[in-house]
Amino acid sequence: MTFLQPLLLAGLPLVALPLIIHLINQRRFQTLRWGAMMFLLAANRMSRGFAKLRQWLIMLFRMLAIAALIFAVSRPLASGWLGLAAGGRADTTLILLDRSPSMQQRGSGSAASKLETGRQQLVQTLKLLGSSRWVLIESTTNQPRDLESPEALLSLTETEPTSAAADLPSMLQAAHDYIQANKSGHTEVWICSDLRANDWNAESGRWQALRDSFLEFAQGVRFHLLAYSQPAPENLGIRVTEVRRLETSDAAELLVSLKVKREAGDGQNDDVKTIVPIEFLIEGSRSVMNVEFSGREYELKDHRIPIERARKRGWGKVSIPADENPADNDFYFAFSEPAPRHTLIVADDPLAVRPLQLAAAISPNPAVKNLVEIVTPDQVSSVEWEKVGLVLWHSQLPEAEAAKLVESFVGRGGQMLFLPPRDPGSQELFGIRWKQWIESPKELAVDTWRGDQDLLAHTLSGAALPVGQLEVQKYCEIQGELTPLATLGGGVPLMGRVTTNRGGVYFCATTPALADSSLASNGVVLYIVVQRALAAGAEALGNTRQLVAGPAASENSVNWKVEASSDPGYSTEYPFHRGVYSTDDKLLVVNRDAAEDQAPVLGEGRVAELFKGLDFARVDDSAGNLNSLIQEIWRLFLTMMMVAMVVEAGLCLPKVNRVTGAST
Amino acid sequence: MFTERRARSFIDTHVLSRLAGVPLMARRPMQGNVSGRHASPHRGASVEFAEYRKYVPGDDLRRLDWRAYGRSDRFYVKEYEADTNLRACFVLDTSGSMGFGSTGITKIEYARKIAGSLAYLAVQQGDAVGLSCVAQNIVRSLPPKRNAAHLMLLFDALEQAEPKGDTQLATVLHELAETTRQRALIVIISDLFIDPSLLRECFQHLQFRRHDVAVFHLLDPLELSFNFRRPMRFLDMEGGPAVFAEPNEIAERYHKALNLYLDGVKQVVLESGVDYHRTSLAENYEQTLLRFLVGRTRAKGVR
Repeated sequence: MTFLQPLLLAGLPLVALPLIIHLINQRRFQTLRWGAMMFLLAANRMSRGFAKLRQWLIMLFRMLAIAALIFAVSRPLASGWLGLAAGGRADTTLILLDRSPSMQQRGSGSAASKLETGRQQLVQTLKLLGSSRWVLIESTTNQPRDLESPEALLSLTETEPTSAAADLPSMLQAAHDYIQANKSGHTEVWICSDLRANDWNAESGRWQALRDSFLEFAQGVRFHLLAYSQPAPENLGIRVTEVRRLETSDAAELLVSLKVKREAGDGQNDDVKTIVPIEFLIEGSRSVMNVEFSGREYELKDHRIPIERARKRGWGKVSIPADENPADNDFYFAFSEPAPRHTLIVADDPLAVRPLQLAAAISPNPAVKNLVEIVTPDQVSSVEWEKVGLVLWHSQLPEAEAAKLVESFVGRGGQMLFLPPRDPGSQELFGIRWKQWIESPKELAVDTWRGDQDLLAHTLSGAALPVGQLEVQKYCEIQGELTPLATLGGGVPLMGRVTTNRGGVYFCATTPALADSSLASNGVVLYIVVQRALAAGAEALGNTRQLVAGPAASENSVNWKVEASSDPGYSTEYPFHRGVYSTDDKLLVVNRDAAEDQAPVLGEGRVAELFKGLDFARVDDSAGNLNSLIQEIWRLFLTMMMVAMVVEAGLCLPKVNRVTGAST
Repeated sequence: MFTERRARSFIDTHVLSRLAGVPLMARRPMQGNVSGRHASPHRGASVEFAEYRKYVPGDDLRRLDWRAYGRSDRFYVKEYEADTNLRACFVLDTSGSMGFGSTGITKIEYARKIAGSLAYLAVQQGDAVGLSCVAQNIVRSLPPKRNAAHLMLLFDALEQAEPKGDTQLATVLHELAETTRQRALIVIISDLFIDPSLLRECFQHLQFRRHDVAVFHLLDPLELSFNFRRPMRFLDMEGGPAVFAEPNEIAERYHKALNLYLDGVKQVVLESGVDYHRTSLAENYEQTLLRFLVGRTRAKGVR
């Protein structure tokens, strides 16, 4: 509990006054020679039940009255658990604000969202508690920002809702760094969040490190969690899973696949059928489709929407009627004519890469054209890199200028697959170099491969690629750190991926040459690997890009122009708000993270575990709550004092005595 | 009348002179050895006619009723009631608790006044008085006699009686009931701090022996009100363990125990028909005695 006049609490020992008076009174007894002992002894033998209890109750209520008086004059501030948790005036107050889409959930019977309520409550509370400095760390940038006063929380655009997920460990890390850098004194950290598991990332190893580092602060850091963990089981969220533009002989149409998902729930309403009107907005033209929805999820596959044949590129939006959380009621998408998939093969000997050329040239989709260009390493500088989606490099690793070109290509999102040259050379790229060729006396089979993701993943129907049927006679050892996608017996990597920020860099330890492996003769694996890499590269370099709201999408956002957005805010915040933006000749679509559609909320015990050992207090609030978290409650104590005095007086009242005077 | 005129603290001549007008009466016929003012169970020579009896040879001819003979031609002897004196036996409780008194007078002093005054009045009207001072047992005993010198002895005994020791009133009363051979007026002056059921047996025993029992139940006003403010340490005047008590806490139960006891005593008194007087030490003993004497006059014993 916090007090506006804490010094007056020094008077709390006065609570013992009734006890002391009682003890003094006991010591001041009188001695009397008494005749009628038989009555005293009889009285002592009688049950003293209520009489004894009454004495203690009287004492208790006297002490209570004094305690309540002292508390009342100390002007306590409290509400709920917070009352016990709040401490003295803080030197620095850090406010960690979760702006994730789930925080836009509204409370039942209220128009205020969790975020709005949280901001209001924080303003009221922090105003009362007081602090020398207020610092905001919001979930999109995780950058500390000084506030003049807590009221700024209501006016700043940095506290408005976004579509980007929050990363609580990173926010806490930012808070930690701030405290360390500024050497702040007693610090209060207020976290306003709805405890979504994806935002909190409770399984992350960073929590342990954060706990340890916060414990190292000698000045004391107190954490307050303003939790809005109420679920909205009836809330529906919509997400577009695929958009394709299909051109027929006389018209064009969009094939939109989408999912409507009900948030968790207890399964009671799974059988109840509701009709959900899904509105499609494509380049200004609106259409509505009613779908009957029951259960938790509804999936619409390839819903055809005719568009003008001339419209090769555009954007659209699907939306459902407003419900508890408006942030997941719409989803943006963009479409364009599929760009030709351009593969560049860099090889010393064009004949040796014939299987690669074939694998890249044959398109799996008749509507998409595949182009292949074969160049020698010397011609690399003359290639139009902007059009290339995939590079198959079957030569010594590039150096100098060529290496820079390759790196910038990967930085733009391009895909690269390196195959070992006959002469491995000593060059190094992405921390990887070829070592030497090893010839096995007998064919080696692939021992393990990653079937869950990346190039060798199972097909959509769940069938595994025939990687196990490959036979390798010769392979070149790879030196450097990469994530193996397939390994030969003995843990020798056959194919691996290098970690990069964007794009994809793969190394394959053998070549399709017949003397080296059966990659060419058993061409399925090679074809799929090349086509998958090509598709990823083409998507990254295409005219439209699907981005997940968050800092990863924030590249050059100042040049973005808003085509459509629900709540655009400042241009620096575009990457965090869902919508359609254009830059140069590309359409960028920003939507919320798929993990935001997952409902799980961290349990109370799990949260307490995360803050184990730290000074932590949790306050559960609900969206739309109008009651202030904290308020002066001296009236309550004054009432308590009066009640205690009245009860004490009632207990002290003597019973109506029957007259026992002398009579004959 | 006094051979040695020594002032006694418990004798007030003014009070005695005022009380002298009211005779001390027995409620039952008494068997005295001399003529007195109390009814006797036997026929005697008073002026009060009792009955006719048939003449038997040997009867005094002077007592023949000649008029009856004239009317009925039969010999009848005319009989009259006998008046005799009584034996008053005072039982004075001298246990430790009789030393208590909060009004400036202790119970033993009050008891002395009552016993002394009644003894004087009884001797004055020719009755014999005796005294038994009792505590654990009979501490001192004087047999009933009716001369003035005996009264002096009785006063001396009263003066020397000291409140001391435990109460064994019940045992002592049973003993007195057995040892007092002739009918007597037994006047018990005590605080009666014993179980009412024991008291009932004592009274019934005394009445079985045809004694007229009168009781002065002495109670101090403080014992009745138990009006204390501060914590008290009560020391037992009869040598028992001390009790520490918070008056606020114990008062209610004390009154409960007291009322239970007083109700019990009342019940015993009603059942046994003893002449019971609950006496507060705050009351003037003259009033107490006057009430006692007047009450007995009204309930004057039938033959």
